[in-house]
Amino acid sequence: MDASLLLQYAIIALAVLLSVWVVAKKQFPGSVRRLRVGLALYLLREQRPSWMRKWGRALAPASNADGGSDCGGCNGCGPSPPKR
Amino acid sequence: MSATALPLRLALVGNPNCGKTALFNQLTGSRQKVANYAGVTVERKEGRLHSASGRSYAVLDLPGAYSLNAASLDEAITRDLCRGFLPGEPAPDVLVCVVDATNLRLHLRFALEVRELGKPMILAVNMADVARRRGITIDLAALQRELGVPVVETVAVRRNGARALVERIDRLVAKPHVPRTHLAETADHGAGTAQALHEETRRLLSAAVGMPTRTARIDDALDRWLLHPVFGLMALAVVMFLIFQAVYAWATPMMDAIDAATAWLGASVGAALPQGPLNSLLVDGIIAGLGGVIVFLPQILILFAFILALEESGYLPRAAFLLDRMMASAGLSGRSFIPLLSSFACAIPGIMATRSIQDPRDRLATILVAPLMTCSARLPVYALLIGAFIPQRQVWGVFNQQGLVLFGLYFAGVVSALMVSWVMKKWRRDKSEHPLLLELPSYRIPHPRDLLIGLWERAWIFLRRVGGIILALTILLWFLLSFPGAPADATMPAIDYSFAGRIGHAMTAIFAPIGFNWQICIALIPGLAAREVAVSSLATVYALSAADDDAAAQALTPLISDGWSLATALSLLVWFIYAPMCISTLATIKRETNSWKKMSFATIYLFGLAYVASFVTYQVAVLLGAG
Repeated sequence: MDASLLLQYAIIALAVLLSVWVVAKKQFPGSVRRLRVGLALYLLREQRPSWMRKWGRALAPASNADGGSDCGGCNGCGPSPPKR
Repeated sequence: MSATALPLRLALVGNPNCGKTALFNQLTGSRQKVANYAGVTVERKEGRLHSASGRSYAVLDLPGAYSLNAASLDEAITRDLCRGFLPGEPAPDVLVCVVDATNLRLHLRFALEVRELGKPMILAVNMADVARRRGITIDLAALQRELGVPVVETVAVRRNGARALVERIDRLVAKPHVPRTHLAETADHGAGTAQALHEETRRLLSAAVGMPTRTARIDDALDRWLLHPVFGLMALAVVMFLIFQAVYAWATPMMDAIDAATAWLGASVGAALPQGPLNSLLVDGIIAGLGGVIVFLPQILILFAFILALEESGYLPRAAFLLDRMMASAGLSGRSFIPLLSSFACAIPGIMATRSIQDPRDRLATILVAPLMTCSARLPVYALLIGAFIPQRQVWGVFNQQGLVLFGLYFAGVVSALMVSWVMKKWRRDKSEHPLLLELPSYRIPHPRDLLIGLWERAWIFLRRVGGIILALTILLWFLLSFPGAPADATMPAIDYSFAGRIGHAMTAIFAPIGFNWQICIALIPGLAAREVAVSSLATVYALSAADDDAAAQALTPLISDGWSLATALSLLVWFIYAPMCISTLATIKRETNSWKKMSFATIYLFGLAYVASFVTYQVAVLLGAG
């Protein structure tokens, strides 16, 4: 496999991974959030090296208390629905 | 109160359709949706205002309310926020009560209720210019004196139309003044308070407002025709009909230009890059896929230009009035009209707008039929199939046949919604009556600024979807259609060996009875994230299936008109009328009903309806020789 073809496959792999991330974040925000929390907690354990904890902090999702400006069914924001 | 690090909170309150959102846009520079009917805002929105004095304010735009004795969820939000009872929301420091200068008889009543809260308050007399044109005179000084709160005039749709209000807010903040409450002293129970409110409103009107006529003559003259039980319905049908004609008649040149630009871009990129997977991703995947969707932007914008103009003009509540009898007999309340109308843009805000419906059963019925309204995401699919299978010719020498079919599809969505709600009404044995209480606003000429903001918003939403979720799904679909490659001893086209090819072929076991081929089956999966993706997916599938570059460069329309039968096209059109091909809509139903059961019911009944209707359509079309 020549270098040009290798580079093309690398770009495609990056584009596909980014696309998976965009679709997952948009369509399954709750699951993505849980996944990020799980990974962050794993990386932030006390025995982990500092670089790993740094990654964990970067990976942790923002607090829900920040609220959000988006609306629509996929972001889970907005006022709580009435309890029936 | 003083200028501190934390911004002071201003809340815009008032009756529905008094111009709160237009004023909010004016104060904060936001671009929230405005319209000339009640119930556009169902959630509180927040923006920032920096006054000339250097103070910074957090401005809240609250849902319109007719009374603080809340009768619906959106009125309860307004009441609780004003009183500081909403969890996580500090009480506002200043209430700006917005009233419509042309309808003070109704709006001053709510202003009096707000005054009773005993918070610093300003009365913004909005649409003062329209009131003046109608000969309504308002003595602001007298009104301020009698009401006991500062009163300023605003014209929310005009540049600097809220300058006086900002200056008055600054003065009030510098020297706070809490209004004296009056009504509590005169009445101590519900009925007594209501009577006291009426009497106080009448007193204020006689002291400060001169009304030459209760309604403008022009409104009366127009309403005589437009609200007529026969001519009114005919006028409504003609208006809707002309809109769909215009969508086809006016959009063609722009669409041709976008099509040509896409073809040129694909050819240029294809020629510039060496043959290989990246070339295929860009040309067959991204450019063919996204180009196939963007081409429908002119049609979407023309449709929305008309809808926005109708919203602004004040005609839509009249349409609700005209259709009320039909909706009531189908089991929907008059309050369902605005949520269903919003669903023509997108079912998500439509479902959220059902919060203004008091009766929980009416609300649920409206939520369940809202996805049947033809949202803008369906338009690219409809336009593609109509363009491919319906000849562009004149009917009776006047009407565009393609426009007629599009009108028919929108009409089919509405009729289906009415039929489904009628079945639900029979199911629950509901014999109750739902009287329609609707405020009919005065007619007004749509403001070009609001129209342009609305169109820009629609274009931006569409382009953001194209550049976000549609692009991401197009790339993923291209990947699934390109890998793994064909084996050395392959006998079929390479795409048949790909992941998506295999999935598509497997799905035909379910969808063959309704006429869908494997390419359509593939397009349905990413189409669940956004309906338009079905079009980009088909473009990508056919570009990758093409035997050579010339065939791949062809536009999608001739490819499907050659490859599909009319029966398949009709079946797919019917599928898109009913199928809930939008995960976000289903998630919104779950959130608004707070019930997995109701969301599952909506999903199953809509997919079931789609399958049965497509099956019948396909089989009948085949029997008639269109197979």
